[in-house]
Amino acid sequence: MPQLLGVFEQPDHIAAAAKRLRDRGYTDMETFSPSPFPEVDDAVDEKPSGVRLFTLIGGLAGVCTGYALTLWMANDWPIMLGGKPFSSIPPYTIIAFELTILFGGLMTVLGLFLKGGLPSMKLHAAYSARFSAEDFGLVVSCRDRDVPEIDGLMREHQATEVSLVEG
Amino acid sequence: MTPPPAESVAAMIRPTPVTRDSKANRDLLRVMEGGSLGYFALVALAVGAMLAAGGVWIWQVYEGLGIAGYAHPVFWGAYIVTFVFWVGIAHAGTLISAILYLFRAKWRNAINRSAEAMTVFAVLTAAQFLGIHVGRIWKSYFILPYPNQRALWVNFKSPLLWDTFAITTYATISIVFFYVGLVPDLAIARDRATGWRKVLYTILSLGWQGTSKQWKAHNRTVLHLSGLATPLVLSVHSVVSWDFAMSIVPGWHATIFAPYFVAGAIFSGFAMVLTMMIPVRRIFALEEYITDYHFENMSRFLLLTSIIVGYAYAAEYFIAWYSQVEPEQTSFWKRAFGPYWISTWVMILCNGVFPQLLWFKKLRTNVPFLFVLSMLINVGMWFERYVIIITGLSREYDPAVWGIYTPSWPELVIVAGSFGFFCQFFLLFLKVFPVVAIAEVKELEIHAKAHGEGH
Amino acid sequence: MSEFDRREFLKIIGVGAGGAAASACSDPVEKLIPWVIQPEEITPGLPVIYASTCQECTTGCGLHVRTREARPIKLEGNPEHPVNRGALCARGQASIGRTYHPDRYRSPVERGADGSISALTWEEATAKVASAIKAAGSKVAVLGGQTGPTLSALIDSWLDAVGGGTRVVYEPFAREALREASTAVFGVASEPIFDLTDTDYVIDFGGDMLGTGASPVEHSRQLMGARDARRERGRAARLVYVGPRLDETASASDEWLAPKPGTEGLLALGIARVAYDAVRASGRTPAGDVDAIESVLKPFGPDSVASRTGVPAEAIRRIGSAMAAADRPVALPPGVALTSRRATATNAAVLLLDAVVGAVGRAVTIPPPSEGPVASFRDVAKLIDAMRSGDVSVLLVHDTNPIYSLPPDSGFAEALEKVGLVVSFASMPDETSERAGLVLPDHTTLETWGDASPRPGVRSLVQPTIRPIFDTQSLGDSLLAIARALGQERAAGLPSGSFRAVIESAWSDTDFRAALKRGGEFSETGASLAPGVSPGIARLEFKEPTFEGDGSFVLLPVPSPLLTDGRGANLPWLQETPDPITKIAWQSWAEVSETAAAELGVTPGDVLSIETPYGEAKVPVWPRGGIRDDVVALAIGQGHQVGRYASAAQEGAEGRVRGASVISLLPSLTDESGGRAWLAAKARVTATGSFQRLPFTQGTDNKRGRLLGESISLVALAKGESPWAPNQGAFMAAAPHGEEHGGNGDASDDHGGGHEGPHEIRRAFDPSDDSEDGDPFRWGMTIDVDKCTGCSACVVACTVENNIPMVGEEGVLRNRQMSWLRIERFVGDGYQQLQTGRPGPQNHEALGDTDVRNSPMLCQQCGAAPCEPVCPVFATYHTPSGLNGMIYNRCIGTRYCSNNCPYKVRRFNWFDYQITGWPEPMPLMLNPDVTVRGQGVMEKCTFCVQRMQAARQDAKSAGRDVPEDGAIQTACQQTCPSGAIVFGNLKDEKSRVNTVAEENAGRAYRALHVLNTRPAIQYLAKVKREEGHGTGHAAAGPVRPEKSA
Repeated sequence: MPQLLGVFEQPDHIAAAAKRLRDRGYTDMETFSPSPFPEVDDAVDEKPSGVRLFTLIGGLAGVCTGYALTLWMANDWPIMLGGKPFSSIPPYTIIAFELTILFGGLMTVLGLFLKGGLPSMKLHAAYSARFSAEDFGLVVSCRDRDVPEIDGLMREHQATEVSLVEG
Repeated sequence: MTPPPAESVAAMIRPTPVTRDSKANRDLLRVMEGGSLGYFALVALAVGAMLAAGGVWIWQVYEGLGIAGYAHPVFWGAYIVTFVFWVGIAHAGTLISAILYLFRAKWRNAINRSAEAMTVFAVLTAAQFLGIHVGRIWKSYFILPYPNQRALWVNFKSPLLWDTFAITTYATISIVFFYVGLVPDLAIARDRATGWRKVLYTILSLGWQGTSKQWKAHNRTVLHLSGLATPLVLSVHSVVSWDFAMSIVPGWHATIFAPYFVAGAIFSGFAMVLTMMIPVRRIFALEEYITDYHFENMSRFLLLTSIIVGYAYAAEYFIAWYSQVEPEQTSFWKRAFGPYWISTWVMILCNGVFPQLLWFKKLRTNVPFLFVLSMLINVGMWFERYVIIITGLSREYDPAVWGIYTPSWPELVIVAGSFGFFCQFFLLFLKVFPVVAIAEVKELEIHAKAHGEGH
Repeated sequence: MSEFDRREFLKIIGVGAGGAAASACSDPVEKLIPWVIQPEEITPGLPVIYASTCQECTTGCGLHVRTREARPIKLEGNPEHPVNRGALCARGQASIGRTYHPDRYRSPVERGADGSISALTWEEATAKVASAIKAAGSKVAVLGGQTGPTLSALIDSWLDAVGGGTRVVYEPFAREALREASTAVFGVASEPIFDLTDTDYVIDFGGDMLGTGASPVEHSRQLMGARDARRERGRAARLVYVGPRLDETASASDEWLAPKPGTEGLLALGIARVAYDAVRASGRTPAGDVDAIESVLKPFGPDSVASRTGVPAEAIRRIGSAMAAADRPVALPPGVALTSRRATATNAAVLLLDAVVGAVGRAVTIPPPSEGPVASFRDVAKLIDAMRSGDVSVLLVHDTNPIYSLPPDSGFAEALEKVGLVVSFASMPDETSERAGLVLPDHTTLETWGDASPRPGVRSLVQPTIRPIFDTQSLGDSLLAIARALGQERAAGLPSGSFRAVIESAWSDTDFRAALKRGGEFSETGASLAPGVSPGIARLEFKEPTFEGDGSFVLLPVPSPLLTDGRGANLPWLQETPDPITKIAWQSWAEVSETAAAELGVTPGDVLSIETPYGEAKVPVWPRGGIRDDVVALAIGQGHQVGRYASAAQEGAEGRVRGASVISLLPSLTDESGGRAWLAAKARVTATGSFQRLPFTQGTDNKRGRLLGESISLVALAKGESPWAPNQGAFMAAAPHGEEHGGNGDASDDHGGGHEGPHEIRRAFDPSDDSEDGDPFRWGMTIDVDKCTGCSACVVACTVENNIPMVGEEGVLRNRQMSWLRIERFVGDGYQQLQTGRPGPQNHEALGDTDVRNSPMLCQQCGAAPCEPVCPVFATYHTPSGLNGMIYNRCIGTRYCSNNCPYKVRRFNWFDYQITGWPEPMPLMLNPDVTVRGQGVMEKCTFCVQRMQAARQDAKSAGRDVPEDGAIQTACQQTCPSGAIVFGNLKDEKSRVNTVAEENAGRAYRALHVLNTRPAIQYLAKVKREEGHGTGHAAAGPVRPEKSA
């Protein structure tokens, strides 16, 4: 099934176009933007990214590991040190804190990879260097007969050009 | 009316090739191209210094730490001083990227990339010194809690272990942060590069193409990393300061240390960013992206942190007097007027007094002045750690074993080498990665453009 | 050599990234060769102990040689021996190193005319000597030190046998003057023996009896015992010291008088006269010729003596009457440093004082004249003349080093050139053996047979405890071999068999095996006489001695408490042990008063030129408060060109002299007795302008009023006022008399460092809580600062016991000495001084001030040890029995523990001392029970934990679960002559460590305890014994203003 690529110069244009197309029922679309523009991203799908969940899990895992590690190791072979208790929470909190950050951070990146579909070996057929310059791209897959309508819609929203994606 | 058949439409559409590229891309990617003679001279200098230090270090491992200037009871010397110094430097990057991000201070875009890079390199440099400092590097893995046949773990009560965890975490997180921010720019580079760079950037950019899903996840990730990095950056230097504050050494055992060290770290970090970025901006003609406005903002930070640090100095002396603990008083008296008075006054002048000049806008915007000042601050901050560590140890509780420490030349070579180590990475960075966050800068540009035309 | 491979290996591993993986197998692969036929008395792992006798000086202390696997590893005093009763001095402790010294001759050597060295077999060497002697006829001379009676007798008979010849006994520190004085005063030509047991008034006329005297170990024990006994009755055993310099004995004294050097005798007479009147007044009469006494004493009224000596008449009267009133007084004669050209008169005066106060026969015993040759400087002079005139063609030198120890103007060196063949029996090279044509190396004390008779009633044996390490032969056997090589008819006069047989026959009147077991034959009461004063005394004339040279300073050559007359200089343990007074190691220094230094415009380390008519020496200066302004003092002992450690060879400067030799500045003059006069020259002292850093180990003796090295007055003690009771005072120890700490008007001084500060944390605690509940032990110590004389025997003992390496002069210059135990020397209570700049070494002594606190500092084994929690890898931790353990294998060398140790008793291996510190064959003396530490690890005292383990094993095998109290003695405690250190189990209420502390609760304090480290060591404060029981401040000393550097 054919894919139409519309090229825009301004974020609000592409955002509007995307929104419009979604209303018309064209849900299978993808955008390319050179910089982060929330309005564009939300126009495609306003669901917030699921990365937050990864961070939460990572953080919790970290704090638990931190305390478990320290407390267990301190009591696995209790060694007297300067008359201090074997399980002394305050110092272990520091370890727990550091691990919270560490695990949380790494999990967040994992989230980025999974949610952002990274790393991906091949680029989208419609992607080209202009989208890492200043242009915005909107790719819509549709049935052949919908092509003119989409074409029209895009131009209506000041798409500088619309083309059919080969391959 | 009935729509025309698809193929006819397809026929009538002609894709037009990309002709124009964004100015930001061109300007900023240009930095990575080629390399002047001066550049390679600098690289040679940096690498040379590092190799010299490496040689001395190998000799030290062979002969023993005795080749350093240690004298009972001063068992920590220039190595730990330099360790703390570099950890401090490492603080600006994350602060700029994380905290300023959370505060939505857009001006950070121009400098955050290079600052993050410095963070990463500074942490790596600092980490070297943990190994250089210990007596038996070949046994230093003992400090890791790995399962072993002795069933012996590590002592989590020791500030040195907190250090190990904090530094590792900080290194990991700042590398991750640096890389995540880099991905979109790497894609930009990928789309324009040829040859080995093409391969490199294709791999590193992970197939980024700026789709909505990617940007959504990316924004969220940066936000969360900032959220995590902010407490981290504050914790790391606190932990480092506890290496001292947790001991009973007069002059070390002070509750003020954590905030005092964190402020000092940010202070020195910003100074180092200025020291590095002022020449870079000049050499690569980036005035358009890194403006005096940025420098002025940084110097405001310098002023603020300098005041905090100066206050800490004063507070230490006040408490020493007020506490009426004689060893404490003696220790601080010796700082100011004892054998190490030079270091102390260098520290006070460079960190407490000179930066006060930044009250004047004229000077805040005077780039050569800022460069000189940032240099002075770097010196001052190294001496701050020298004063704290050495004077503290040399005048302790038992007057019978007071001692004097003076760094030996091998120590100084290694310390100098650490600057080479740091600089070589930074020079490499200039040529391999975009020195300014292009995507973020462009965001502003496009916004401006949109604003200019629309409505 | 295997170490080298290992070292290489370690380092490469260290450098290589693969370290982690490979260093597990970084130890060298060494083959164990099992003992096929094992000697039955040796059980591997268990020490075998042999009794022997220390030959380091002529005192003759008894030894217990602790051997492991047939190797002596430690010397300890023989508890049965009446002289030292188990204790040993620093020299004795270090003397074990002679046997394992890397310099030792490996075999007999011949020195060619061109100075070339060639090794010989014993047959060749013996033959060469024999032929030379045959040729020489009676022109043979033997020059040697004091030897045991049997060997001495053998030498005499040998000389007769080989055709006559002269024999001269030469001891640099011989005491001819005393012998002569005894002849004059009592008509008995022998050296009196002074016994301080239960004395209550001792006056030492410059003998430094506790440091370099005739029998320091014995006298320390006796004096401290007497002090204990008296103190328990709330009274004082007073020690009055007379001498120009604050030395060890002066530091331990209660009153110190510094008369003009050389006038000690006059002072003695002045005191004697006062005492005499008092004695007569009390109706007593001194034994002997009263008229002689009176005629001698008549001219010495207190006031005239005062004007002649510079000692106030008041003091003379006070001391005189006190001596007369005392129930067991004793006066001791001057030592080497004060043997002036009138030494005999001086000694006589002191003996007369003893006679007057009735000490003779009680505290002073006069042994019958000893047979056998005695050392005589006069004879040495004669011998030199003979050599010069070519009447000596073969000179045999043993047990002495005349080239070094004789003054240059004696002409010995030149005379030696005229001697055909010089044969040396030295076991390691010294200045003399370097000029000998033949060296027939002698065994060391630990390899040879021998005996000694330090005094009547005490005969003690020397027995070999190790197979000779090198191809050496004992002197006795060498002599016998030479005689036999000369042919039967000559050898006939001599005993057949080996020297061992000679010893056995000499001891045939005893149960030899029993004697060997015991270490000799000891009967408490030796034959002694109690003669009265003989009229002979009248023939002595008592007046000030004369000095050569026109300098403004009297040159005072003081014997070094460690290097003695220089014989100790090649033992690194003695070189590196800081001088007990100045805390300087490895170097010479010149002591002048601070006033004099100010006039000369010099500060510590500035090099002085000291010039006498006989020579010049350039020596860095050490200004002191504790020395007369008209005196410049130089320690004897340094200034060798020969010897790995004695010379600067250690610093890589082969043949360069280490320090300076005071002997080269001295004339070879004698006193009336023909004894050598040391105190005979005046020196011109000038600043050279050059500077030399002095390797001192303690920069200041100001303890700043901190809770270290405390003292308390006898009065306060009697009243039960203890400033260290828990919950009193603040950081500073409250001043014993409640007097304010001296201030120098500095802001912070006004606050007295926080007396009664609100932050008080010094709480009472029970140290026995600081070990695991189930554990029967909590090891602890009680150290009596009042008893510590600073002699440093403990330091050397610790070094030898624990395989502690030497770091040499450079090491000490960086304070890198490794010693686990140091003796801190503080003067007065000290006070805060906040001076600016880089402080030079400081000195707060004052003439007449004896408030010196010597406080041994070692790991306090804290209950709440600051060093423990900061170690990331558990390398240091708290053992179940309360020790602060140190695991070398685990240490990665972060050195945080040392930073956090307030006592600074941890040491770090900056270099690979375990390789560089122990040249062959020194590794043989390593204690196998103690790990040898490698490069990059921290080390520290653990109360000789290896000894605890051994004792616990013994207890187990004896069926007890805990060793009884006293079974475990730490090395330092074991050797302490004055018994200042008590070690034991704090959990056992009846253990001495507890009882001693309880008995002295009023003096007990814990070092720096304000830090709440819960130390396991309790110190007992020094006691100030004021005259008349503390009404005055005789010993307290003034609060001195700060002398800022």
